[in-house]
Amino acid sequence: MNNLIITNNPAVAEIKDIVLFVDGSAEETLIKARDLVHEGYELISHPLAASLRMMFSPFRSVILGKKSDKVDIFSVEIIEESIIKFKRHMESRKIDTDNNDDYKMIDLILLEAAIHEQPVTW
Amino acid sequence: MSDSFKVLYYVNQFFGQIGGEDKAGIPPEFRPGKIGPAMGFEALLKGEGTVVGTIICGDNYFNENKSDVLEIILNMIKEAAPDVFVAGPAFNAGRYGVACSEISKAVAQQLKIPVVTGMYVENPGLDNCKAFAYVVSTSDSAGGMRKALPSMAALASKLAKGIEVRSPEEEGYIARGMRKTLIVEKRGSQRAVEMLLARLKGQPYETEMPMHVFDIVTPAVPIKNLSKATIALCTSGGIVPTGNPDKIQSASAQKWGKYDISNKSALNAPDFYTTHGGYDPIYANEMPDRIAPLDILKEFEQEGYIGKVFDWFYTTTGTGTAVNKSVEFGTQIGAELKAAGVDGVILTST
Amino acid sequence: MKLEIGRIYIKDIQLGKETSVIDGVLTVDKQGLIDNLKEDGRIKDILIDVARPGEKVRIIPVKDVIEPRVKIQGGNNGFPGVTSKQAQCGEGRTHVLYGAAVVTVGDIVGFQEGVVDMWGEGAKWTPFSKTYNLTVDIQVVAGLDPHTHEETVRIAGLRASEFIGLAGENVTPDEVLTFEIGSMFEETTKYPDLPKVIYAEMNITQGLLHDTYIYGVNQSGILPALLHANEEIDNAVISGNCVAACDKITTYQHQNNSVIYDLYAQHGKEINFLGVIMVPEHTTLAGKVRASDYTVKLAKMLGADGVVVSEEGYGNPDSDLLMICKKCERNGIKTVLITDECAGRDGLSQPLSDTAVEAVAVISGGNVSHVVTLLPADKVIGNAAAIAVLSGGWEGSLLEDGSMMCELNAVIGATSEIGFHNVTCRLY
Repeated sequence: MNNLIITNNPAVAEIKDIVLFVDGSAEETLIKARDLVHEGYELISHPLAASLRMMFSPFRSVILGKKSDKVDIFSVEIIEESIIKFKRHMESRKIDTDNNDDYKMIDLILLEAAIHEQPVTW
Repeated sequence: MSDSFKVLYYVNQFFGQIGGEDKAGIPPEFRPGKIGPAMGFEALLKGEGTVVGTIICGDNYFNENKSDVLEIILNMIKEAAPDVFVAGPAFNAGRYGVACSEISKAVAQQLKIPVVTGMYVENPGLDNCKAFAYVVSTSDSAGGMRKALPSMAALASKLAKGIEVRSPEEEGYIARGMRKTLIVEKRGSQRAVEMLLARLKGQPYETEMPMHVFDIVTPAVPIKNLSKATIALCTSGGIVPTGNPDKIQSASAQKWGKYDISNKSALNAPDFYTTHGGYDPIYANEMPDRIAPLDILKEFEQEGYIGKVFDWFYTTTGTGTAVNKSVEFGTQIGAELKAAGVDGVILTST
Repeated sequence: MKLEIGRIYIKDIQLGKETSVIDGVLTVDKQGLIDNLKEDGRIKDILIDVARPGEKVRIIPVKDVIEPRVKIQGGNNGFPGVTSKQAQCGEGRTHVLYGAAVVTVGDIVGFQEGVVDMWGEGAKWTPFSKTYNLTVDIQVVAGLDPHTHEETVRIAGLRASEFIGLAGENVTPDEVLTFEIGSMFEETTKYPDLPKVIYAEMNITQGLLHDTYIYGVNQSGILPALLHANEEIDNAVISGNCVAACDKITTYQHQNNSVIYDLYAQHGKEINFLGVIMVPEHTTLAGKVRASDYTVKLAKMLGADGVVVSEEGYGNPDSDLLMICKKCERNGIKTVLITDECAGRDGLSQPLSDTAVEAVAVISGGNVSHVVTLLPADKVIGNAAAIAVLSGGWEGSLLEDGSMMCELNAVIGATSEIGFHNVTCRLY
């Protein structure tokens, strides 16, 4: 099963095959993922990380799965709530660009972990 | 006297002892000294503060001339330069509550002067101002004056002197919706275990994080044949016939209106405009159909895509309008539409 | 299973030539500890220091906090499966240097920010301002990949606590706590009328800087696991989380999990405490569904009437928390959740957007965006550059007098979601 990775992380785009690269911010990446979810893609990975510090990361990667004719309501709820939560945290924060390389690396490692976590399904 | 703080008071025509409904149209005036509830209020300050003046304004005058009158009142307040501003209590009076609410919010936001008011929890003015002013919870009628004033005076005194205001329960005000981070005596795990024990025993407990639970409305069954259906147009975007014949409030609406559109093909300017106070009206006034698309509905009717556009168009303003008022409006409008045999409604918001 | 924890009260830490506890004063053989840790060839340098409550000292960036202990009887010393051979935790006798902590400093990535202030405003918000802290700053050789770097720092902290803990081996404890719970059948026979309560402890298990280990096993690859309540408080669980400063569970907090302590205190009185389900927090939605289903299934198999669910982290774990809650409540198991919230800097935002009508009993560990002002420190232990990370959050956070405004999310243990700290939020 080939999943689609939505990412604005060049380190991910460089080494992964099926990637939709977003030339923009983490928020734009989430919004792109949301648009695709509304077109019928299901979410494989949760759009947010598990720590607040990664919420401040300028790079974000989200894995989408199958596209079907019917919108997956569960995925819609998760992505919409994630965007609300993300915006709330970033409202008055500066983007931490000093640590770009580290954020790229950790985003990639966490993505790899998520890919690894998903058992083969069809 | 140097220690005494200055209070400026606001009341409507009734509590300002000018008159009842017949005097509701009087414009704002400033009177030095204390009038009506301000008298009792000052006595409760125990000499620590003085009411330096009372502003009186008719409820109708305020609600019908909101933007102008607000500016006049703000200027009066600026001139008096009080340490704390007090309005009401308005109990459950709708127009008075909205006036207290609008003024309180403006004073707190624009003049940065602390504000105390008082309202019944269902007063339509509450939601608009509770985050900015301290709104003491009162009963629904003026009989609760004796109970409301001491809490209001105590809060005003604390605010004027810069003393920390304690929790809503302790001080008697309605929660402002602010989540305050505190250090408490018991650690979280102990509170969790105690809460679980209470749940298991069926005893009362209070969650520390009330979830925002939304009303769940069962969707109506789908319309089987749209080409035979009568569709009504309804908006909370404040589109009204020019001149706003029913005086629908621009915010915190107290009523809705309905207008015959059976002979119209669109909601055209300048016959219609918006009275909504919550958004930039330029584009709505240019083409009111942008808010309530009667033009498209009529096209659909012509094409036979829908059966018929209902003869009456329903409207109100959604900004600051209390949820219970909205429920009331919806129930009333829904009942009318149902009785008229309407099959579906296009409801637009802004 | 029966465990005795002997607490030796520590009133000060000194650096010296040998490691001992005399009259409550812990002396640490500084060079001996450095030599011991440097047996790991991946470590280049070790810096040892002491931070005492009330001193104008800031420790940053904190990686982990560990309580120094020694196994007196039963099991193996150290952390079985990690620093010592596999053994059963939760039995026998363990001595604890109570009031002391090993605080490791080591930045694997540039954006780590966890801060512990030992004095002033900052001290109020972290439970580790009240412990006597032996700080271990671990610098590794060049060229390590990030996973190896993290592992090196993690293991060094555990080994340091083991090294120091040995000082308590022959000391008579000031207090001995006994933790004993038999098989579920025995306990249910003893307390047939008490409600059966389980603790579901969620742990971050999502990859580098976001991992938790049980007996050295990375929890990300396993199904929710049932533990006896004694195991975690006897070194079975360690933290690999280097971020999420305010709401991660440090190893110290696993060793002293306050939910386990507080449920234990009610065992045989008000409740029958069944044990702990360790719940992995996965990244994928499928993983979240699986872990929450499995957790609720275990709780049902054990006949639980009630469950305390604690979260770790913020963001995607919020979904797991509410899934577990919904499924438990639908199965008639009463839940209490412990979490933290983001209500914005002014406290005016609506917390938790994932609403669930089932979440009727929730404990709040506080607002992660609450702003605190940290005064300038006389001494910074660790990497002063990390302070830039802390103060870089938004415009104007660095004030003229050198103090800075930071959100609670940077403070170690501030909004603990196992209810380890005394912070909360109230509606005002």
